[in-house]
Amino acid sequence: MMSSIKTSELFNQRSFVSRKIEAIAFKAIGDGALVTKVVSKGDSKTHAVNLALIDLSVAARIGFRGTNAKSHLDVAKLPVPSKPNMMEQSKKGSLMTLRLSDNEYWVLDGSTEMGEKLHMLTALPVPYNCYRLYCQHSHAWFMLTGQYIEQTMAKICGVDLRKLSFPLDTIIQTSVAKVNAVIVRHEVNKIPVFSILSDSSSAAYLWDSLLDAMGEFDGCVLGIDALGLE
Amino acid sequence: MSNTMRLNKPMGLLVDHNKSINFEFDGKQYDGLQGDSIASALLANNRWLMSRSFKYHRARGPLTMAGQDANTMVQLGGEPNVLADKELIMSGQRVAGQNYSGSLVKDRDAILGYFSRFMPVGFYYRAFFKPMGMWEKWEPIIRKKSGLGKLDLDFEPEYYDKMYLFHDVVVVGGGPAGLSAALKAADAGCKVLLVEEQGILGGALAYHRFDIEGEKADILRGKLVERIEQHDNVEVLLNATCNAWFTDNYLPIIQGKRMYKARAKQCIVASGAFEQHVVFRNNDLPGIIMSSAATRLMKLYAVKPGQKAIVLTGNDDGYLTALELQEHGVEVRALVDMRTTNDSVELLTAVQNKGITVKKGHTVYEALGAKGNQHIRAVDVREIVGQGQVSQHSEIIDCDLLCMSAGYMPAYPLLCQAGAQLSYDDNSEFTLSNLPENLHIAGSVNGIYLLDTVLKDGEFAACKALKNLGHNIELPAKEKCTRKVNFYWPIFSHPKGKDFVDFDEDLQTKDIVNATRLGYRDIQLVKRFSTVGMGPSQGRHSALPTARLVADATDRTVTQTGVTTARPPYAPEKLAHVAGRIFDPVRHTAMHYRHLELGAKMMPAGNWHRPAFYGKPAERDNCMQIESQHVRNNVGIIDISTLGGIELRGPDAAEFMNRIYTFAFLKQPLGKTRYAILTNEYGVVIDDGVACRIADEHFYVTATTGGVDHVYRQMLKWNAQWRLNVDIANVTSAFAAINVAGPDSRKVIQKIAEGVDLSSEAFPFLAYREGTVAGIPARLLRVGFVGELGYEIHVPASYGEALWDAVMDAGKEFKIKPFGVETQRLLRLEKGHIIISQDTDGMSHPGEISMGWAINRKKSFFVGSRSVEIVMAREQTRKLVGFVLSKDNVKPKEGHLVLEEGNISGNVTSCEYSCAVDSIIGMAYAGINQSEPGSSIDIRVDKGLIVKATVVKMPFFDPQNKRQEL
Repeated sequence: MMSSIKTSELFNQRSFVSRKIEAIAFKAIGDGALVTKVVSKGDSKTHAVNLALIDLSVAARIGFRGTNAKSHLDVAKLPVPSKPNMMEQSKKGSLMTLRLSDNEYWVLDGSTEMGEKLHMLTALPVPYNCYRLYCQHSHAWFMLTGQYIEQTMAKICGVDLRKLSFPLDTIIQTSVAKVNAVIVRHEVNKIPVFSILSDSSSAAYLWDSLLDAMGEFDGCVLGIDALGLE
Repeated sequence: MSNTMRLNKPMGLLVDHNKSINFEFDGKQYDGLQGDSIASALLANNRWLMSRSFKYHRARGPLTMAGQDANTMVQLGGEPNVLADKELIMSGQRVAGQNYSGSLVKDRDAILGYFSRFMPVGFYYRAFFKPMGMWEKWEPIIRKKSGLGKLDLDFEPEYYDKMYLFHDVVVVGGGPAGLSAALKAADAGCKVLLVEEQGILGGALAYHRFDIEGEKADILRGKLVERIEQHDNVEVLLNATCNAWFTDNYLPIIQGKRMYKARAKQCIVASGAFEQHVVFRNNDLPGIIMSSAATRLMKLYAVKPGQKAIVLTGNDDGYLTALELQEHGVEVRALVDMRTTNDSVELLTAVQNKGITVKKGHTVYEALGAKGNQHIRAVDVREIVGQGQVSQHSEIIDCDLLCMSAGYMPAYPLLCQAGAQLSYDDNSEFTLSNLPENLHIAGSVNGIYLLDTVLKDGEFAACKALKNLGHNIELPAKEKCTRKVNFYWPIFSHPKGKDFVDFDEDLQTKDIVNATRLGYRDIQLVKRFSTVGMGPSQGRHSALPTARLVADATDRTVTQTGVTTARPPYAPEKLAHVAGRIFDPVRHTAMHYRHLELGAKMMPAGNWHRPAFYGKPAERDNCMQIESQHVRNNVGIIDISTLGGIELRGPDAAEFMNRIYTFAFLKQPLGKTRYAILTNEYGVVIDDGVACRIADEHFYVTATTGGVDHVYRQMLKWNAQWRLNVDIANVTSAFAAINVAGPDSRKVIQKIAEGVDLSSEAFPFLAYREGTVAGIPARLLRVGFVGELGYEIHVPASYGEALWDAVMDAGKEFKIKPFGVETQRLLRLEKGHIIISQDTDGMSHPGEISMGWAINRKKSFFVGSRSVEIVMAREQTRKLVGFVLSKDNVKPKEGHLVLEEGNISGNVTSCEYSCAVDSIIGMAYAGINQSEPGSSIDIRVDKGLIVKATVVKMPFFDPQNKRQEL
């Protein structure tokens, strides 16, 4: 559906980096459209396994903070990490719950649909001492994929992101190219991924910084289809 | 030219004998082999003259062949001061000498050497400043002569970058000690980074002869390197220089165009040692090289360094060098040993069996130059009869090569940067002590020279590192080395001088001794007076002889004298390495591209980019006036997304607001906005904004673009003390916002707003409402910063561009126009609205800026309340006032001074021409006696002119504020 969309400007919700992507296909999601395919640079899956940057800024996410935030997620039967700076994925893998502090959680939906659970969570009344956060708009969401993600990040981030120090399903909150970022290490269809969530107003700057660092490893921009997400 | 001095395989570890490369040096074509450095390729062609010395323009050729001296600095295209003994040759490369007048071979400035007695150390400071005014005459001449090489001012920037590395253990130095340490640590499971300055691993194993047969090094190197290359836990950086040591093993490593910033849990420095030269007359002639340089030339580059050699040594290594030279067809005319006995009888026998004459207790007293002193032709050998003393009997021996070694000095700079203490004992040997906890040393830098012991020392250092990393490991016994490598006094001063201590700066023994006689007894003062050790080689060869000379002249030991401080960088580094790929974040609003499409002149606001106005930069004033008139008469739209936004939610939100801001907020009605001023503990106004009460327990408060981060931090800080039940969130980036202002603004918004009644009764001035605008959920505020009917519309940031598009589309029929920040500043100035940090400074309290009305004096506390009370009760000295000037005056600029009877009483904070008022209007701090409306104030404008402005009551425009309340 929607592969005939030629521009994200048909939608009210737009990614801050939409102008930087030579998109050829989109998929509508909520009020926005995710880039599913970009101008071809060869086999996209090969690129995704090597090194690629994908924009998921329009993909659905929501955050909650407060002493009752955990119970709010429990009501929605979402997986909740046992301690801060950990991530738990739903059984199907598309929903990720990030625990950013004792009482702060972000739920990210990496699928190209706005998942049932995220819908449910959005519709639920927010309990006392639980506050909704605006990470959908305050933060851009990029996925850096492939075998060279550690080397690429080592050019723009002063924190050790080797798997040894930064294992799967953990989170590092740090500075990337001098802007604050939340980095999550996970896998999508066995491809190593860093999900990077960073201030939306500096998203274009960070996008350029990442592409510059990726050049050395033949990294490129891809659409979400390259990861085989459903 | 052909490679006349080339040796056959297996010599030449670094070169490919089958691949020839042609390049140009000094206007002539030369052939080299792939892998050659510029210097090795030139030496293979018997070309020794590569540079001219800094002061006397003496002919210079390679000294170390390891990039440790300034003798091979050449001009490579547009890049000066390239080290020819490190830079690889490339096909078609054009290389030239530098620092000469005429040609490199016939340098007219070489005549300066004859006048050296008139140019002693310090002459520069004393000679050119008297009589008064002479410096102006000398300066252009001196400047013309100074500097090495030529900069290419048309240089195109190149891509340099940085990368972080993280390892358990970083080993600096890929010689036997470093390899051994790296393997031990890697075998234990550590992730190891091995950093080697040269292009191959092995260090001295790659070029030095360790035994009479000359086999041991090659075999050992092969084994060690093979293990390193196959080890999964070892990462190797070749041609990489660890250029500094910073606290906690933070190591900048330069390789090519990249600076790595390595973080090491443990660091092992196995940096080796610098071979030291012997000081005698003309010890700088081309053809005089370190012994290690000769073996490097043969083993690494397959270059025979000469035909007839003299070996001058202070240790047994000279014997091994002699064997190596003889084996490759160099006739060793004599081995001159400064000692009276050598360590190894077997070595002596082996050398003598090769027919080499050994002259013990002798030295080279003078080197004799060929025509123009461009190469060595013979040496004057004499018996040593005392410290630095030689007999009168002279023996002249012809030669074209002199290999010298007075001993070795630890490659100490990195370690001394880490705070290590370098000591020199009575046996002429060095030790390094006081190392930081996680920094270790191994090998010759640790004073260990016997190969087997060096390997064990590497393992010992690794074991210490492993223990620090928590490995359960027994420390082996510490290795000690009994071998002595340094001759105690390798300095033979000559009455005619040119006995160089420091080749970089052409410093002779008398220069150092004279410095001490002039009272510079401290080694650091000697350095600064004489410039010894301040050249590109940073004292690698001059530090020890200088310390010896100063110690002798001041009757102290070398340890008491010490060596000069080693500071980063270890080797010269380009500014590009430091500057390369600097990160300078910029922030864009959601409407950024729309502004560009509309021809906005963008301006920085912190790290945001904002439209200043729309139009050509040269037409700024006109654009602003047009935009401001349009807002006053029609409708305008401005992107205010950069405005800070903070959400306060929770049962104590109102209490928190009440404590943090000066106004009262406990009873602020729902759906209302209220102006909010923030003072600090000193009563100074630090920010302002508008607080919207969305719900009983929910406030949305704006802050200034530049101030929001500070305000947010202050809020978090205060609540860490107050422990109120409130959630504080900086939502600046989460919301995009516009202000639609002007008489037609309601009509525009009415077209696209839903769920909100925009009538003045339902939505009056200072009210807050929620609804949708063009289908986008929106927060609407009726505030009047520019003094017109207007609506601030805040929407989720991802919808910002769509909102802009919708409003622009709806406003077409009302001729809506965008306006920029500069226009907004003019509009608010007309209304007398201040901008915190532009119209305030670090001393401004609410009274000074006529904001007493924004202080609630009934409440018991707000941040800064006590200070505000005190500072406002004091006798006031200044006040922020509005002023007008007729438009034919020179327009004052922000910062121009306000005078009172000739004294400074304040300054202009804002000033602009207003077509609405048809005058120049502004705000300024003025003396309290000048602040009453009707007073005249003197403003000193450009060129010292004084303009007389009249103080007026603000606002300048629409004093009844009727327009914003429509």
